[in-house]
Amino acid sequence: MTSKGNTFFNRLRVLRWPLAVLLVAALSVFLLQGALKTGLRESFLRNGDWRTSESIGAADADAVVRAIVAIGGLLGSTREESMYYTLNSVAGEPLRLNCRYRIEGSDYDANWWSITAYGWDFYLIPNQEKRYSYNNENLIRGEDGRWVIRVGVSEQEGNWLPVGPSGTLAETNSMAHDFDLLLRLYTPGNAYLQHPESAPLPTVIKEACS
Amino acid sequence: MSWVRWIAVILVCGWLGQYPLAMLVPHLIMERLYNKVGDRTGYNQMYVNTRPDETFRNVVRPSPDLLYALCVYNLEQGAVVINAPVPERYWSMQFYQMNTDNFAGISNQREQHTRVGTQVEVTLVGPDANPAEYSGEVIQSPTARGVMLLRASAIGDESQARTALEGSSCQQQLKFVSS
Repeated sequence: MTSKGNTFFNRLRVLRWPLAVLLVAALSVFLLQGALKTGLRESFLRNGDWRTSESIGAADADAVVRAIVAIGGLLGSTREESMYYTLNSVAGEPLRLNCRYRIEGSDYDANWWSITAYGWDFYLIPNQEKRYSYNNENLIRGEDGRWVIRVGVSEQEGNWLPVGPSGTLAETNSMAHDFDLLLRLYTPGNAYLQHPESAPLPTVIKEACS
Repeated sequence: MSWVRWIAVILVCGWLGQYPLAMLVPHLIMERLYNKVGDRTGYNQMYVNTRPDETFRNVVRPSPDLLYALCVYNLEQGAVVINAPVPERYWSMQFYQMNTDNFAGISNQREQHTRVGTQVEVTLVGPDANPAEYSGEVIQSPTARGVMLLRASAIGDESQARTALEGSSCQQQLKFVSS
């Protein structure tokens, strides 16, 4: 081996401890990022395209779920108080601003419920209408009590939930989706508390993309 | 130690390290929220927020159908007393410790529906205090610092919710009250 090669390995030997600590820290951060993304996909209960966690705000939540909740749902209530279902993709396709969606539903067993659109930054989406959600009282319904909410950038008839770019700079978006939907059920009935994976929820359908 | 062993140790430690790191995340985020909101709204005092819109940043994923009031508390100097009138529509008072746990809560729902129309008075004491030394409704916070959040339904006419939140208070207990 050349003297240059020996010098390199000697330097590496001297720096091996700080280098090892740095590599361990970097690897931990990398693996945690992966665990958070996987956790967002898999560690939550699924009900159709909706996802929920039984552990929001609860002391029994594991470290990764608690970290996910802290990032995307800080100060959430426990599920006896309110249940949160999020939806950020339809049939595996992330929600996009260049697509139009239709939400169909009826009424749900809770003191009150609402559907809100959030930007990828977890905050309300800027829009001229200043409309961020629909709730069980302000929806336009059919005679049978059923309703349809249309979600998209362009104005639509009936219950239109406007979406658009998030308030935070798009360059910092690390999410696959452009926005997501959150269904809140305050003081949910037993079906949601005992069978959150099969209790009745609205259906979200992708209508068209440009 | 050979290079292979070094690499193996780094991989194992890196894999294990993600868990303490995950445990640290809620503390860091809560600490940031505590200081950011506390500096803006003050500590041990009630702050009633405007109705959430796209500019609202005091709560992650705010509901536009709710009005929020919060008290960023610090119990190191003694207990804090929270007073709040309970409106007819949905209302709750939730307590969060610094690791984000929702450790206690009061509402006007289910068996607590009888609270509607009453005035809730809660004495919030620190982890080292003896709750038996306080009278009335006492809640013990597992951490000396934390956040109390009031939620009130703003669906339809929001005036009742706003009146209830604006009539609520959070303040350091001035005198020690023995039972």
